[in-house]
Parts: sequence; structure tokens; C-alpha cells
Amino acid sequence: MKRYPVFLSWLVGSALVDWLVTRTLARSAIFMPKSPPVILVYQGLGLLGQLAATVTGLLVLAFLGWIAWRGLRMGGEVVLPTAFASLVVLSLIFLVFPPSGWLAVSYHMILVAVIVLVGWRAFSWVDSNSKKTASLLVALTLLVSELYQVIPALYEALRLPGPTFFSLILFNAGELLLLLSTIALWWAHGRPAAWRVWLVASLPALAFIAMRLANPAMTGIIAIWSTGLTLYLPWPGYALGLWLTAVTVLKSLKQSDLAAWVILLLAAGGYAPQLSTHAFLGIVALWLLLPAAPQPALDRPVYLESVPTSNDLVLEEL
Amino acid sequence: MFNRSHLLLVLVLIAAALLTFYKIPIASSQGLTLVSAAVEGDLPLTDPDSALWNQATAVDVPLSAQNVTKPFLLESKIKSLTARTIQNGSQIAFLVTWADDTQNDSLVRVQDFRDSVALQFPLAEGQPFFCMGQQGGNVNLWLWKADWQADINARQDMDTQYSNMYVDQYPFADPAKGIQAGVADYTDPNYVPAMASGNLFASPLHASPIEDLIAGGFGSLTAQAADNQNVQGFGAWEAGKWRVIFSRDLASSETDDVTFVPGKTYSVAFAVWDGANGERNGQKSTSQWVNLQFGSAPQPVGVKEQVEPQKPWWQTTQVITLFMFGVLAVLFIVGAFIYSRLPE
Repeated sequence: MKRYPVFLSWLVGSALVDWLVTRTLARSAIFMPKSPPVILVYQGLGLLGQLAATVTGLLVLAFLGWIAWRGLRMGGEVVLPTAFASLVVLSLIFLVFPPSGWLAVSYHMILVAVIVLVGWRAFSWVDSNSKKTASLLVALTLLVSELYQVIPALYEALRLPGPTFFSLILFNAGELLLLLSTIALWWAHGRPAAWRVWLVASLPALAFIAMRLANPAMTGIIAIWSTGLTLYLPWPGYALGLWLTAVTVLKSLKQSDLAAWVILLLAAGGYAPQLSTHAFLGIVALWLLLPAAPQPALDRPVYLESVPTSNDLVLEEL
Repeated sequence: MFNRSHLLLVLVLIAAALLTFYKIPIASSQGLTLVSAAVEGDLPLTDPDSALWNQATAVDVPLSAQNVTKPFLLESKIKSLTARTIQNGSQIAFLVTWADDTQNDSLVRVQDFRDSVALQFPLAEGQPFFCMGQQGGNVNLWLWKADWQADINARQDMDTQYSNMYVDQYPFADPAKGIQAGVADYTDPNYVPAMASGNLFASPLHASPIEDLIAGGFGSLTAQAADNQNVQGFGAWEAGKWRVIFSRDLASSETDDVTFVPGKTYSVAFAVWDGANGERNGQKSTSQWVNLQFGSAPQPVGVKEQVEPQKPWWQTTQVITLFMFGVLAVLFIVGAFIYSRLPE
């Protein structure tokens, strides 16, 4: 059985606080009148968000390191663990030297390689076609989002005058893939759901619809700050995606399906993230979609269907 | 009972608190990065066609309508701009281009609005709110104005737009100038107090098409004093495209100016106004923050000292970061020791 370090649950929690407090609630403050007590509250939220962001940064690096260590310990593979370890090392280097030139390109290329390798495994190791499709779409979304960011870095390293004319096409394609991913994840993990789940899950979508109808401009700004989505596609598509996502999360949580955490990590990371920490959240989410690695004694991989319980969340013995 | 999980949580929180307190970001930037290419020799301060610009990688910066504070811009006409930057160790220049079907460079008629573009730099560490900064997070703005550029090329006045206009007399101008007196002919400053006080808007002659400003939130935009206007610029419209150059010394002794030190990372944000769309003030298209880095280049002797006073070695960012790593490493070793002695 696939076992996870105890801090996976902390990572999900801190990532959610970072996303919802720092990148959503605190940023939406610009639309609010600010009396001194409100300012005080927002200063407190800002501090909490900063702390959560740092905790998330530390934990996600630790998790990547753990994946690398686990891969090497299991033996039989070198490339993927080395790539994960390289991401950790480069992240530490970037604390002192800002990413630029070929170092930045190398970092992005390793990210691309990790997405391709993990995405391919998630696709090929899973039995069910619906889960294959979901894994493929999630991996493609992350890949396109990363390519959108690697190309300007490559242009800069090659000292090409640029700009890249297809950047916008890539960005928009990724946003479309993200919407399709929400449907695929629901198809794979969210069906069938009780009517009560559908009802409760409709609340975020209804809130989005109300906000979109009342103030489309403000909705667009909050959406891009919070999730990185530009809402360039017809807005009912986003409402549907939000609804299906909420259904999948609720149902997965109820059934202790790991997909709930995958979706929460993907949401917390956002689309085309601006920070490495958020990009790593997407990588971790994709890795969690992997079934347990095929064991020599087994003919086919075992897919982990349950969210790790407190008993499962123990550090693997050295 | 205190177990390994609790210890791990405590250690993580302590490490996070230390990193947060010392403002050491654990995450690196993934987003748009504008790299200021290092070039040799003089910068092309008025030549957007110079081959030197090709040494810099251009970045497409997406723009969106400003809908954060009134007056809103409902629909953005300018969806993106292209920016590139070069520096020679003592000066930095930015070339900003964007598509605009109309050339709006006159404010003589009250129904007209000008095309403009602005660059914005945080004055403190981190990134304040991308639109005009925030309280405690001032920003330095360089605002290029098409009408100021046109004034520099050939001053515009009422008779530029209304060639058949007739004026009886300018009562307070030099009588010798007669009815053709211009603003500069007003000899008595009591009748042109705005100009006499150094108000840039009233100045009949602009030394630069760029206004150097500071802001710390909505409604706080303030022009720097006339003596402190140290940003130069040049803009030209051709075939449906504006090309504007901003330039300034890397170093500035003014506290309201951003000072660039090669090797450090900065942020820059952009805003564009389309006069034909009636855009002015807060009605504009804005970008998010874009990272600004400096390409490596041999620095002229003495520039480092000129740009920033040399800090003691123990106060450099690298040393502080490494020190923090040392503290965290000790924390990790002590934690691992306690961890090994705790129950699971």
C-alpha cells in the first residue's frame, strides 16, 4: 500500500489557507471600504497568509524530497527521483541566486520532464479509462501551463528578441484543458453522487454566477488573482466546472477518496502559477494520482482509493 | 502525549516563522520576467529602431481593464504591450510598444484625451498592490504622455487646433508681443502662478515627455518636484503602433525614485491609456507585476559604488540567507536528535 508522510495533511491545509486567505480573501479587500478595525483584521489575515505560504513552501519541498527519497529507496528508478531532488536543490539555490538564464531554463525543463514522466505513469498505470482520461487531462493542463512559462525563459536564455507569438495560444489552451479536467475528474471520481451532494456543491457555483451577473469585471479580477484563470471562455462553462469540482470534492471526501486532496492541491496551486511553490503543488497532486508502484509480485498496480487516515499518515520507517 | 508528529509540526512552524520574520521567500518566481540585457556603449535613448534593442528579449505583457477603483474602464482596448529593456551599467532604458490605431497626442480640445503609457516600480521590498501601490508600499511611476511628446516636437496651442481663432488681446503679457503672446511671454508670475510655482502641467516647455511621480494608493498620485524630474523619454507613433522609450540613470539619490542595482531583482508593472477610447486617470489598462532582472555584464569601474553604498559583507542578502540556512540546519539536527528519541 502506498503510504504518505504525516505532513501531507498539513500541506493540504496550509496550501488551502495560503490560497483562500492570501490570494483570495486578502486580495479581495481592495473592493471593501476599510475602517481601522477592518484594516487590523486584514493585517492579521496577511500575517496568517504569509506564514501559511511559508509553511506550504517548506512542506512542499519536503514532500518533493520525500518522493525522491522514496523512489531511490524502492530502487529500480533513478530518473524521476533525481528530477524531484533536482527541483528541491534548485529551489534552495534560487533562495540566494534569482532564477535567470540557463539555470531558469533548466529548472523549467526539469518541471516539464517531471510532469511528462508522472503524467505518463498516471495514464498508463491506471486501469479505468475514466481515470486514465482524468490523469491525462490534469497532466496536459500542467504541461501546457508550464510550457507557457518555459518558452519566455528559453527565449531570454537564447537572447532571442521575441516575443513568443504562441504564448497566448498556449495559455488559452491550458485554460480550456483545465475546464475539461474538472469534467474528467468528476466523471472518474464524482459519479454517482447523492442529490444532497449536488445541492451543497451548487452553492459555490451559484455564488460565482451571482457575482458574475452582478459585477463581471470584479469577478474576473478576483478569479485571476485567486486561481489564475482569465475567464476568457463562456462563463457558464466555469460555473459548471466549479459545480462538478465541488461535487467531486464532497463525494471524494465522504468516500475517503484521495481525489479530494488532489483537487484541493490543484486548486490551491492555481493555473499557470506565479510561484514555484504553487507549481510544486500541482506536481504533488499529479503524483498523488499515481497508483501504487507496480510491485514485482503483482501483475498490475494497486490503485489507492482512500484518503490516508491518521493511521496511514505515518512516516515510512527508514 | 508529545510525539514525533507534534515535534515535526513545531519545527516546521518555527522554521516558517523565522523565514517569514526575516522575509526570506521560500518560493521562486515562475511568472513573466523581463531581463534587462547588458549592452556596451551608449543607449539608444531616442531610437526605437536601434539594433541594440534586439539584444534584449521582448516580453508580451497582458493588460486588463482597471476595474478596481472608480473611475472604472469597462472594456480594455489595449490587450497587451511588448516590453524590452537594456542597460549599460550606468543607465537603463525600456522600450515599450503597443498597437493603437489612432494617434491621440493633443489635449488642446477639451473633448480629446491623450495616449499614455506608464511604468511602475515598488520602492520597498516585495510587491505592493499592482495598481498605484498601497499605504506603506509606495511606488515610483514614470508616465509618458503623447501630448507632452508632441509639445516637445512642436508646441501645440489653441491656434494649432483652431487656426482661424481670433484673440482680442492678452492683457497681462508683454505688450510688445501683442496678440501673438504665448504663455512664456507672461512676464509677471502673479498672473501665471501655476507656472511660477513649478507646476509641470503649466509649464510651456517640457524638458521630457515623461513625468516622474510617486503614489501610495488610490488618489495619492503626486508629481515629484520639477528639479527631481530625472526620467527621459521618447515616443513615436507609426503605422498603428506606439513605440516609447523610457530612460534614466540606474542610480538616483532621491528617496522617491527607484534605484537599480545590477544583480538584484525588481518588479515592474505597466499601464496604457487609449485616448481615442476616452481613457484618462484611472480608466486604463493595467498589467500585474512583472519580474525585472538584470543580465550579467561587466560593470564600469566605480559604478557599483555609485549605485549603492557598499554594505558590510555580513549585511548582504546572500550572507543573511546562508546564516538563516545555518540556523535551520542546526534546528533540523537538534530536531532529528529529539525525533529519534520520541515515541511514534
